[in-house]
Amino acid sequence: MNIFKKSLLILSIATFAISCSDDTNTVNPTPLGAYENGVLILNQGGFQKNNAGLSYLSNDLNTFQNNIFALVNPTITLGDTGQDVGFNDNLVYVVLNGSNKIQIANRFTLQNIATIATGLTNPRYITFYNGKGYVTCWGNAANTTDDYVAVLNLTTNVVSSTIPVAEGPERILQNNGKLYVAHKGGYGYGNTISVINTTTNAVSATITVGDVPESMRVVGQTLYVLCSGRPSFAIPQTAGQLNKVDLLGNAVASSITFAATTVHPSNLDVFNDELYYTVAENIFKTPIASTTLPTTPLFSTTPQGVYGIYSFEVENNKIYVGDAGNYSDNGKVYVYSLSGTLQNTRTVGIIPAGFYFN
Amino acid sequence: MTIKNWCSLLLLLLNYVVVAQVDTITRLQTVYVADNTLKKFSNSQRVFVLNDSIIAKNQLSLTSLLNFNSPIYFKENGLGMVSSPSFRGTTAQQTAVIWNGININSQLNGQTDFNVISTSNYNTIAVRSGGGSVIYGSSAIGGSVHLNNELEFKNQFKNEIQINFGSFKTRIFNYKLLLSTAKLTTDFSLSRVSSTNDYPYLDTDLNNQNGAFYNTSFNLNFGYKINNCNQLKIYNQIFESNRNLSGTLATDSKSNYKDFNTRTLLEWIALYNKFTSVLKFAYLSEQYRYYEDKDYFVFSDGKAENFISRYDLSYKVNSKITFNSILDYTKTIGLGTNISQNQRNVFSSLLLMKHQIVPQILYEIGVRKEITSTYNSPVLYSLGIKFKPFSWYSFRVNGSKNFRIPTFNDLYWQGLGNSSLQPEIANQVELGHDFLYKGCSLSITAFVINIDDMIQWSPNSSGVWSPKNVKNVLSKGIETSLGYEKKYKKHTLFLNSNYSFTASEDQVLKKQLIYVPFHKVTFAASYSYKNVGLFYQFLFNGKVFTSSDNEYNLKNYKLSNVGVDFKFGTIQSIKITFQINNILNQNYQNVAVRPMPGRNFNLITNFKF
Repeated sequence: MNIFKKSLLILSIATFAISCSDDTNTVNPTPLGAYENGVLILNQGGFQKNNAGLSYLSNDLNTFQNNIFALVNPTITLGDTGQDVGFNDNLVYVVLNGSNKIQIANRFTLQNIATIATGLTNPRYITFYNGKGYVTCWGNAANTTDDYVAVLNLTTNVVSSTIPVAEGPERILQNNGKLYVAHKGGYGYGNTISVINTTTNAVSATITVGDVPESMRVVGQTLYVLCSGRPSFAIPQTAGQLNKVDLLGNAVASSITFAATTVHPSNLDVFNDELYYTVAENIFKTPIASTTLPTTPLFSTTPQGVYGIYSFEVENNKIYVGDAGNYSDNGKVYVYSLSGTLQNTRTVGIIPAGFYFN
Repeated sequence: MTIKNWCSLLLLLLNYVVVAQVDTITRLQTVYVADNTLKKFSNSQRVFVLNDSIIAKNQLSLTSLLNFNSPIYFKENGLGMVSSPSFRGTTAQQTAVIWNGININSQLNGQTDFNVISTSNYNTIAVRSGGGSVIYGSSAIGGSVHLNNELEFKNQFKNEIQINFGSFKTRIFNYKLLLSTAKLTTDFSLSRVSSTNDYPYLDTDLNNQNGAFYNTSFNLNFGYKINNCNQLKIYNQIFESNRNLSGTLATDSKSNYKDFNTRTLLEWIALYNKFTSVLKFAYLSEQYRYYEDKDYFVFSDGKAENFISRYDLSYKVNSKITFNSILDYTKTIGLGTNISQNQRNVFSSLLLMKHQIVPQILYEIGVRKEITSTYNSPVLYSLGIKFKPFSWYSFRVNGSKNFRIPTFNDLYWQGLGNSSLQPEIANQVELGHDFLYKGCSLSITAFVINIDDMIQWSPNSSGVWSPKNVKNVLSKGIETSLGYEKKYKKHTLFLNSNYSFTASEDQVLKKQLIYVPFHKVTFAASYSYKNVGLFYQFLFNGKVFTSSDNEYNLKNYKLSNVGVDFKFGTIQSIKITFQINNILNQNYQNVAVRPMPGRNFNLITNFKF
């Protein structure tokens, strides 16, 4: 019977070991009450994982909190695949691509206010003008001809009309009552900017730029468009470009093409008359008037183990970098001085996708 | 204290319960089956066979059958949706599914979707735990699942019709015909499963809005006994599945997925005195079509074809020693929306030997080597010993080196695939105790698997994803199985329980792999008296992590199914079964934000004539 006894012993030990490995509960923090004078960080979450979230980091970098929407609104799930955040008056609008909705909350308390869940198919980015919201939408992603900009009535919170546009509308910005929509491309690769007249709600001009216009900024009468170029897995791969568009003529005034087809820049920002952008894990800076591109980076995020900068913003004399890591675990946010000295490191939610200063 | 008392004590002590450990040798028929190595060369590993009465209780899919009757954990994207296994803490690509001796894991993604295998078309379904690459090739690391059709040459004519009506308009229809003589045998079956599958998501006002599915399976197998020495057999299977893919708690879905698989196997079996020679030709095809919007014509697709030629020669030197050598040439062609047409040719040779030294001690050895230009193929081996000092007890130990070869998606995905990928290598050891005494069985197996060069898709610094041989995982665990079977006059009692503990750790992160529960328990009990039967099934799945930093998890859950059946007639019979699944209406998910159904009902009518 010895073997039986031994087996029983092994079994009991196994059972015991199991019952001892229970994890400990962590105490939930309480809401801060006011999420101003700081940055809201959008954690995109995994596609079809329903785990988008917001984090808050104060401008002095001393106060930080994760999952702030869930803390304030414990019964409401923010949604799936957070794509963009926009502020208008006292409200914050969170665009949730996977959930096909926009969640509206008070921008300071984050108290939930409303949901727009109708009329948005594959919503991407949002901007505002004159009492209306404008949201780029891919429509059915497999269909290249049903893309549109949804017009939101901000009083009734419904999609009041749609403006048909070319395939893959992504970033959208407003300047002088005109909307500029970058067609990065949905499942394909775009190379245009649509100009929309908000009086007629129609596309008034189309500007051809480099391949895959990824980010835009307006300074004076110039629209700076950073094009990533077609990626390494596209056939053919193309180099990135920086296009300067004259807004009076709606035409590209000058272009600078990146040296190698394997260089795919992204995350254009403007701060103190300097253009900032990123390539993989490196940050570059160049004077706004420059006609050439820097060959050496301002600094690299490699010492922090960043493996490709996912999100990026320059604000308040600081550089904010979001690191998505492996895209399934919690990501990291690093804050640097303008010269690249690391000032702060935070573990945020899954895929930190954008910084929105409140 | 007698063994019987010990058994009772064990039953009392262990609050988790049950396994249907059935001794393989006694269950498998003595007829020649296509997967003959399963019986001959699995003495030092645990093989358990699920018989008709167990299969009948979980007919919807292979997922539900194995979920309630094996230590394998399943991730299902909603009921009936894509389902992938984790066996002994390994990944979905590290469990092989073997159809009549042929590995049918997808050439495109390396795994089998357990919801596109119907359960009613086979005579037996067996689960073989642990390494099996020497015999079955790629993916047999955690273990393998065997779907077998057994063609017997004896006079019989049997028909069986089964009709199920279940909740959410779930309908299962199955017809089986077995017609054979001493010379010819035919085995035909046709089954159809369909469901609107629009179950409510518990504790919400949502339901599964895009989960409808149907599948049709057609099987036709023939055997011809040319003379006492020669037999010809042909196995055919056509499987078609059409599923809308469920959304999640947060996202609606419009997508649709179609599968179309065919399998054909031709065998010429020649039985001489000490030799058994089997020449096989097989053709497998798999095809899928994915519509992101089922109402829009655009889709992506993929297709792979496998041409297999195999010669299997076994030589029984004497009553104690058997040799078996197999030569195999497999040509695979794959293409699709995202992979250009590519071809892979693999030549494999393997040698197996079994030696019963004395009645109590047996050892078996196997070696396999593949030759291919696609990857560097290591020499795979296995060595096992079975020691049976008493009629009621045996001890077994097995060590093996196994692999999982890169898939067509891994190698050739347009712009992302990595054609220099190498196979994943698993070195593993297990030891087990098996007790069998007067209907009471207990099996305890401890295992360690070290998997190196695991293929992982990860982003580069530009956010472009590609696969590399980077991951190293160490999986350790214990599987226990306890069963009791008793017939007394017209009473029949059957108890069966599995408990498994699995710690499967990423050696770089030092974290448990995602979707591998530390604990899984299954329990099944059935009791019948005369023509009335009652049964109960229980499943406990422990907490699983859903992110590799182990920051996010899914909570554990317990499921209970109950059923009652009435049988009228003997040779010609009607059996009516009423079943309540998830009777406690547990709200559970085995993949994050994809709820599974609450309480649901099933009425099964079975006619045999």
